[in-house]
Amino acid sequence: MIKQLAAFLMLFMPTMLIAQNASVNGYITDKSSGETLISANVALLENNRGTSTNTLGYFSLTNLEPGTYTIAGSYIGFKLFRKTITLSADETLRLDIELEPNVISTDEIVVTSDRVKEEQKDIGTAEINTELIKSLPKVFEADVFRSIQLLPGVKAASDFSSGLYIRGGSPDQTLILLDRNTVYNPSHFFGFFSTFNPDAIKDVRLYKGGYPAEYGGRLSSVLTIYNKDGNRNKTEGTATLGMLASRVSVEGPYKRGSWMFSARRSTLEPVLAALRSTSDNIPSSFYFFDFNGKVNYDATKDDKLSLAFYSGQDKVNFPFGNDAEFKLNYGNRTLSGNWTHIFNEKLFSNFVLTGSQYFNYPELELGGTPIERRNNIYDYSIKADLEYLPNEKHDLAIGIWAGTLTIRLNDRFDNEPSFSSRSHSRYGSVYISDTWRPSEKWKVVSGIRTSYLSDGDYFRIEPRFSLEYKANDRIRLQTAYGRYNQYLTLITNEAFSGFDVWLTADDGVKPSFGDQFIVGAKTIPILGYGFDIELYYRTMNDIFELDPFIQDVSGLDYPELFRIGNGDAYGAEFFFEKRSGNFTGFVGYTFAYTWKKFAGYNNEIGNPDANGRRYPPKYDRRNDLNLVLSYQLSKRWKSTLSFNYATGQAYTEVLGQYSANNTPWANDELNTFTVGKINASRLPPYHRMDVSFSRLGTFFGLGEAEWQFQIINVYSRRNIWFYNFDFDENPVERTEVPLLPLLPTISYTVNF
Amino acid sequence: MRSLFLTLFAFSLIMASCDLYPQDDYEEFYVVESYMVAGDTLPAVYLSTTAPATSPYSFEDYAVSGANVQINLLSGDGDSTIVQSFAYQMDNAGVYTPVLNHKTMPSRIYQLQITDLPNDPNSLITGYTSVPDTFSTRSEIPDTVIYQSENQIEIEITPSVNAERQSYFIFTTIALNPVKENFTPLYADFFDEGDEIGDFVKTSSGIVNEANFETKPNGSITLKYPWLAVAFFGNNQIIANTIDDNIYDFLRSQSVQLGGSTLSPGEIPNAIYRLEGGIGVFGSLAADTIQTYIKRPE
Repeated sequence: MIKQLAAFLMLFMPTMLIAQNASVNGYITDKSSGETLISANVALLENNRGTSTNTLGYFSLTNLEPGTYTIAGSYIGFKLFRKTITLSADETLRLDIELEPNVISTDEIVVTSDRVKEEQKDIGTAEINTELIKSLPKVFEADVFRSIQLLPGVKAASDFSSGLYIRGGSPDQTLILLDRNTVYNPSHFFGFFSTFNPDAIKDVRLYKGGYPAEYGGRLSSVLTIYNKDGNRNKTEGTATLGMLASRVSVEGPYKRGSWMFSARRSTLEPVLAALRSTSDNIPSSFYFFDFNGKVNYDATKDDKLSLAFYSGQDKVNFPFGNDAEFKLNYGNRTLSGNWTHIFNEKLFSNFVLTGSQYFNYPELELGGTPIERRNNIYDYSIKADLEYLPNEKHDLAIGIWAGTLTIRLNDRFDNEPSFSSRSHSRYGSVYISDTWRPSEKWKVVSGIRTSYLSDGDYFRIEPRFSLEYKANDRIRLQTAYGRYNQYLTLITNEAFSGFDVWLTADDGVKPSFGDQFIVGAKTIPILGYGFDIELYYRTMNDIFELDPFIQDVSGLDYPELFRIGNGDAYGAEFFFEKRSGNFTGFVGYTFAYTWKKFAGYNNEIGNPDANGRRYPPKYDRRNDLNLVLSYQLSKRWKSTLSFNYATGQAYTEVLGQYSANNTPWANDELNTFTVGKINASRLPPYHRMDVSFSRLGTFFGLGEAEWQFQIINVYSRRNIWFYNFDFDENPVERTEVPLLPLLPTISYTVNF
Repeated sequence: MRSLFLTLFAFSLIMASCDLYPQDDYEEFYVVESYMVAGDTLPAVYLSTTAPATSPYSFEDYAVSGANVQINLLSGDGDSTIVQSFAYQMDNAGVYTPVLNHKTMPSRIYQLQITDLPNDPNSLITGYTSVPDTFSTRSEIPDTVIYQSENQIEIEITPSVNAERQSYFIFTTIALNPVKENFTPLYADFFDEGDEIGDFVKTSSGIVNEANFETKPNGSITLKYPWLAVAFFGNNQIIANTIDDNIYDFLRSQSVQLGGSTLSPGEIPNAIYRLEGGIGVFGSLAADTIQTYIKRPE
């Protein structure tokens, strides 16, 4: 297969063979740990030729005239690297660059090449600094997703949900890849926070929209997370004691590579035991854990192998009455084997074998009647990605991704099967993409992706295109268009992700598709500051969701399970950032609309079979402002503040009521509301301020240590999640279900 | 750059000032409630209006009196010819009962017509229900069953013919000795001081599809009655109900109004109504009853 792809590339671009000039290539790594750096910049100062590293930290500059150059490498938070190199004709210089971290980030480095100092932010993308994730005020646990929710265009459903609602897309519209491996339910604590251990993570990158042909399978966005490779210079570790969970991470080198292992476990048992002695309805047991690991093996200078795994699980037993108990056991396991091979200075390749499993086993034992579900996903795939650099103007990428996806869903009621479904589908995709730089000012990325799903025999073609114009040193104008398809849907509840079930398109249930249009500008108004604007419009067609009115799925044909609808979303995002100095931070603002529409839903009363009116989903927020400020008070003390203001979420105002009291089959009064348009009212605005103070110190001289003190919801704003109705009162009483109260937390981290 | 900001700012202001999706005001609707049971006499028809959500509600306060209520039996050949009409009279405010006795016929379509509504004499409320076919329980039910023993109550139900879809069931248990001492452990735990024991006398399942159960070659289905449905030890009646589309649509939509579905909290749809000119339910069902004694385990 590799040879065939290589041969195809050479046929495709015969001019590639003509190049006879010199080149330089290699990896860019963090000098302190040996970790490869993703999207680090490298340039030759004399001719302003430059590029950035790929997701494996590799770069290549080809078609260089023989001569002497100053090569420079840069990455935010690292000192500028410079070295003089001399290239002779036809020479291929392998130069692995090690960047030295800045102790305190400053912006006093003098750079003489725009290609080095530019942060190569493509349209619709955002990189989340892992240090920021740890330093942000957090509700018990540092969390990747909670940090991402601070970015413009990304919304949280509530304080209790880590689900990502990106540019009008629900959480299932974001592809989440951990070390190139799909993760299906990345949540702990039933959705309260994400599964990704911040100590194990090297890089977090969000493609909010208009994402490139390399990725596919989701309508909205892609989140890529890469775990650390492990320190290649020394063995070190970190341990953190927290109020909800504690974690430990160790990493180090060995003769031919590096390793990293990380573990996290909840530490709630003593708290639960104490609560049980004074309160009813406390779980008899609850814990969650996750393990991450990665082993790297540098086989040769041009061959790197790695094996990464993740395993996480949540388990709860909750007796909530005499003869009534709820149990839930859910989690994910992933394993990926990666082989990176450099064929030559122009052809770089990466091959991955992935396995991802998700399981979800809720059980309810009620009055001697067991109700059980067994839900499993098995996703095994192979990926191959090739990058070909024929000359300085083109960067060609081609790849395949093929696999099998098995989804099993078995329900049992009272020890008898009540629903059984097993889908075993094959999927595949091929993409080709070319990044063309016709001049210093222009960058054109065009690509096409095709995808296939055996269930329903669906074949789809997805064009992708983006254009960038560099107006001057400080302004880059960008636009992008893409077509996206999605073969999966998630059955979930925003309040509780522990029961998440995925289902696929199939005969009679077409894949969803959508188009995205984005225009934007990346600017540097003042050196050290950034100001970005993006406007987007996107469509969502044939979205299939579980019909919320189905009470029992037994005996229904597969297409009858779903309601099919459309939607669109549009908005403007503004992002102002101060990147360096003792005082850093950003302000993000989003003005957005999201609409959905399903046949037979949100009709005028008395006309249930009409085509449906469009409505805003709950997570639609007109205005969303986020402020994050971080100040290095002294060498030891640092404070971080985050503030969010958002338009209240949409809800349905109850207008009228009546009660059906005379049903022959029950005593119940069927209290019934009449409403107007769904979600036409707004909850009061949401706002919350969190602060964090951290103090560096030492742990009995054995290593660095850090105390972190945090206050969530500093001024105790009683934000509202939703309204509840109490029919025991007449008139019916509407009560507010609040979000998080003021919450102080503390954690202690030791580095060893 | 400055002009770009101004343009975006102006665009944002315009968008923000337009309410693209205004909230509706309260609108009053006529509410009908009536359930025909195959083989039983014609049911009462309850007629009222909705109340504003912020007002105290009781049926009596919103009952509609003085309307002309009529149920018509339509021809069995699929057209809407009225074969027989049954006039109703008002017994109490908003409660209308049939003037003549008539046993509801299974597998037939009935029409409800309400006219002469006060304050709205030109209004007309109409609804149709297709009465489910009758069925019976065949199996021999033991006189006494030990609660949560391995020998669960098994009920064999003869097929209820419905050519277009599977049957939808609701199972009801009626306790005949409903005293506090007879509560099963689960319901004893659910019972709080201040609750009325009468609220637990009749318990019912939600909608249960026919496909849940084993179908025998003769078309009958066998179900094991779940212990969950038993609230009291002692004599209990177990009623299997098959419901028509109107009740099915109403129940499955009404039940999601207060949560428990995949809808976001606070997203409340209207119930699905199969009436013209009003809301509520004009539906039908077929039912069969067995009785057994649930014995406390030793």
